Amino acid sequence: MASIIALLLPPVIAVAAAVVIKPYRRLAGWIGLGCAAVSCAAAGVLSWTILAAGQPDRFLIAGPFRIDALSALLAAAIAFVTLLTAALSPGLSRDDAEDPMRTRRLRVYMPAFAGTMLAAVTVHNVAWMWVAVEATTIFSALVIPLTRTKASVEASWKYLLVCSVGIALAFTGTILAYFDFVATAGDAAVALNWTALKQAAGSLHPPLLQLAFAFIVVGYGTKAGLAPMHTWLPDAHSEAPSPISAMMSGVLLAVAMYAIARWKAVVDVAVSPAFTNGLLIGFGLLSVAVGVLSLVIQRHYKRMLGYSSVEHMGLVAIGLGLGPLGAFAAWLHVINHAVAKSLGFLAAGRILHRYETTEIARVTGLLRTMPWTGALFATAMLALVGLPPFGLFVSEFLLIQAAIANRHLWLAIVVLLLLLAAFVSLVNHLNRMLYGDAPEEVRVGERTSWPVIVLLAPAVILVLLGTVLPASIAALVRGSAALLIP
Amino acid sequence: MRGLFAQLVTLGSSGMLLTAFIVLWRKGIAAYINAYRWQSWLLGALVAVIGYFGRDGHLYGVALLLIVFKGIVIPRVMQRMRQRIGIQPRIAPYVNTEVSLLIAGGLVLFAYGLARPWVAVSQLPTREGLPLAMALIFVSLFIIVSRKKAITQVIGFLMLENAIALLAAVGTYGVPLLIEIGVFLDALMVFLVMQIFVYQIHQTFDTIDVEQLRRLKH
Amino acid sequence: MIRYAAILGQTLLAAALAPLLVGLIRWMKARLQGRRGAAPWQPYFELRKLFAKECVVSHTASWLFHATPFVVFGSTIVVASLVPVVVAPSDPLVAGDLFAVVYLLLLGTFFLALAGLDTGSPFGGMGASREMTVVALTEPTVAISIVALALTAGSTGFAQIVGQTIADPARVLGPGHLLAFAALFIVTIAETGRLPVDNPATHLELTMIHEAMVLEYSGPYLALLEWAAALKLLVFFTLAANLFMPWGIAVSLTPAAILIGLLTLLVKLAALALAVAVLETRVAKLRLFRVPELLSLSLVLALLAVTSSFLAR
Repeated sequence: MASIIALLLPPVIAVAAAVVIKPYRRLAGWIGLGCAAVSCAAAGVLSWTILAAGQPDRFLIAGPFRIDALSALLAAAIAFVTLLTAALSPGLSRDDAEDPMRTRRLRVYMPAFAGTMLAAVTVHNVAWMWVAVEATTIFSALVIPLTRTKASVEASWKYLLVCSVGIALAFTGTILAYFDFVATAGDAAVALNWTALKQAAGSLHPPLLQLAFAFIVVGYGTKAGLAPMHTWLPDAHSEAPSPISAMMSGVLLAVAMYAIARWKAVVDVAVSPAFTNGLLIGFGLLSVAVGVLSLVIQRHYKRMLGYSSVEHMGLVAIGLGLGPLGAFAAWLHVINHAVAKSLGFLAAGRILHRYETTEIARVTGLLRTMPWTGALFATAMLALVGLPPFGLFVSEFLLIQAAIANRHLWLAIVVLLLLLAAFVSLVNHLNRMLYGDAPEEVRVGERTSWPVIVLLAPAVILVLLGTVLPASIAALVRGSAALLIP
Repeated sequence: MRGLFAQLVTLGSSGMLLTAFIVLWRKGIAAYINAYRWQSWLLGALVAVIGYFGRDGHLYGVALLLIVFKGIVIPRVMQRMRQRIGIQPRIAPYVNTEVSLLIAGGLVLFAYGLARPWVAVSQLPTREGLPLAMALIFVSLFIIVSRKKAITQVIGFLMLENAIALLAAVGTYGVPLLIEIGVFLDALMVFLVMQIFVYQIHQTFDTIDVEQLRRLKH
Repeated sequence: MIRYAAILGQTLLAAALAPLLVGLIRWMKARLQGRRGAAPWQPYFELRKLFAKECVVSHTASWLFHATPFVVFGSTIVVASLVPVVVAPSDPLVAGDLFAVVYLLLLGTFFLALAGLDTGSPFGGMGASREMTVVALTEPTVAISIVALALTAGSTGFAQIVGQTIADPARVLGPGHLLAFAALFIVTIAETGRLPVDNPATHLELTMIHEAMVLEYSGPYLALLEWAAALKLLVFFTLAANLFMPWGIAVSLTPAAILIGLLTLLVKLAALALAVAVLETRVAKLRLFRVPELLSLSLVLALLAVTSSFLAR
């Protein structure tokens, strides 16, 4: 109970601090960082409590919140990424040249965004989960146009409109399932708790639930960046300030996939899993294809990271459609991707700050001008293409294994080919950025300041996840995968 | 009595669908705002009727909330936005009026086909409104996709919200009150943020034609 | 025997009342615009005047020009005999239903358009092409909107449709009924050449549709065409009133029922005349390329009416 409060209250405190302290002082930033650390610790404690019981389906209930293995896993990821971004956002040290008003806005909306994401993965009721996901759209959309440029206004409008429409469709699916529940089982008060839905799912009507799930996948899939609803993603993730991009790409997409997974668990009881699996694999494969093919022609590195997110979320969707083995690979992939993508965006933010351009062609000689950041950026990119010793290699390998185990040999081959194409294009872009002569205007050399040291943490974690997967994390992921079995 | 209830619900739902057709037919933001206002009033009245016949007291509160916010406050805010942005040149939508109307008619037929299994399952006397609610969802989506002015897209989105509220009302006599309020506040906040963005678009681009928003490609 | 007399009687009544209807609308418009206006029976004097004048026919006109007034007037009279004006007995007496009405009206329009082209006058051709644009969208709508009612009645015979609506009054509140009425009202405006589609009182040839086609006619021919136009207006009003709000219509042939039917018909016609007069005073004429938008709206309304009647049973 106490750890749940410790998880969810700090973002509220961080927001309140940043709102109250006007004009912006560094104290607000430090309070935010402290709160993020508390949340992260609480998430760790919760995961430990879940694991300590030993059974895979252990959960904790406190009021409207219900934390099981999957919730704990995602909460830990969200809290970790929030901690990273809170440490690396402007507003903590004296030599930040940022506009105080903008910093204050960032410091207000970032914890709000994090708080709504944490609420979305821990709440028991699917309607409240929907409310939380909608709230994440609002808070993230408000902070994308931090600098009022034409590109950022355009990106945020597209994001807001497309995601709101998607979320509205997800709500339609929610209502359809609720309607089916009320028509058969009748009780309205707990009808929208997903455990109640799952229990009653045996008596619900398959065609209705199929239609509801179709709406859910299209709706939440828009938020998760699945093709063909992904059009907002590269724009929003490239125009947003880098810390927000890290949070959006790293964990917000995962939260949307979480929502789809919860609904899949319900629908699979009533309808044969082949339907939901087929739908998820279809959307997933399309997303991987679209993401990879767009990577080839990319000219801006932040958009490149955005399309990479589309590709990876496609892989997660495919994994969720491949039974328990695939689900294990999918959740492991979510964790790995969260760490790698946030590292990538935060490093990209530092590059943007130094080079003042988002074009790949104008960023050269990275290893010479910013050796540490360049190396970290390269680490993130190499991790994202699935090279060992980084964690994504393991999860992608398990994914292919799951595809073969489910006798989807063609799927495995196509995914492998697409991953190969992604590898080639991303490494190509990376090479152009790392090597060569630096442009004249850019200052050469980088101190080993503490942001760089902080950024080493995700890199180390990636290596750990890839080489020595800690048993606790593996157990947590296994518990998450087990929740999807009907 | 049951016959009258079903007829009133069908009438109200059809009226809401027709206001969406008015958005497709007429030109000019003032007409759209009026259509939205009528739609919200119809929705409020419909929810109140369902509360009366369905003997569900909390629906009166929901109806009041709907009428006050969606029927009065939001149209007023949009009027003010329209006046601040000023007269806009006539921007032809992606699809012209005649074809839009025919496509919308086709979407209504599609919705009727899609909704057939639920109408069969539902026991409620309001079940005739289900295909109309689905049709309104599709027509609102079509409005969002085919119109070029940012304010019209916002109106389309607001109508989508109304459509989902109608779906909840005729399908299940509404969702539990607390959730209703949560959803409602969420929708309100999204609208306010959209309004902020329309101003930002207008200030940054000097137009609300979203066709101009094409700086980000590939 | 009595039935045939009744049908003949109501046809003659329709023909006699038509100019009064047009005059009534004109008088109401005048009053609404603050003028005194001519008396409602002014059109009778106009018709009498026209019948007394001589016909002036262009040298280039063919037999079509001479035949058209008779075809138009004849087809409209036949339509008036098919439509339930005062009497709608439970079994049909004359072989003719909804589709016969639609096609007879179209026959008249077709000949009128050809006659407009016949004299070689440019205004006639312009009027004819505009009329065809309008008619292309209104004809299906007339049929579909009445089919929406026919679907529930199970027949396209007017007597059955009327009987169905009388037997089941709650259906009037249904969306199918109301949508079909809205569609038919819009089509009435378009087919009879009233604002906002066509201004019947205009003297500017470039804004005319119907008037342009009859521009070359004079004397008795013109009288017949004007009378046919008035009769068409009455027929449409009667369809709108008696199919959608049929209470009061005489189902049996007793004198009392016929009297009540007559009185209710007069009341309904007056009400519709008032509605049209108010509408004409309030709206401006639509530009020609806007007319298809209005008509496609009415088509879609008619389609929705059919959908809800058919699929919502």
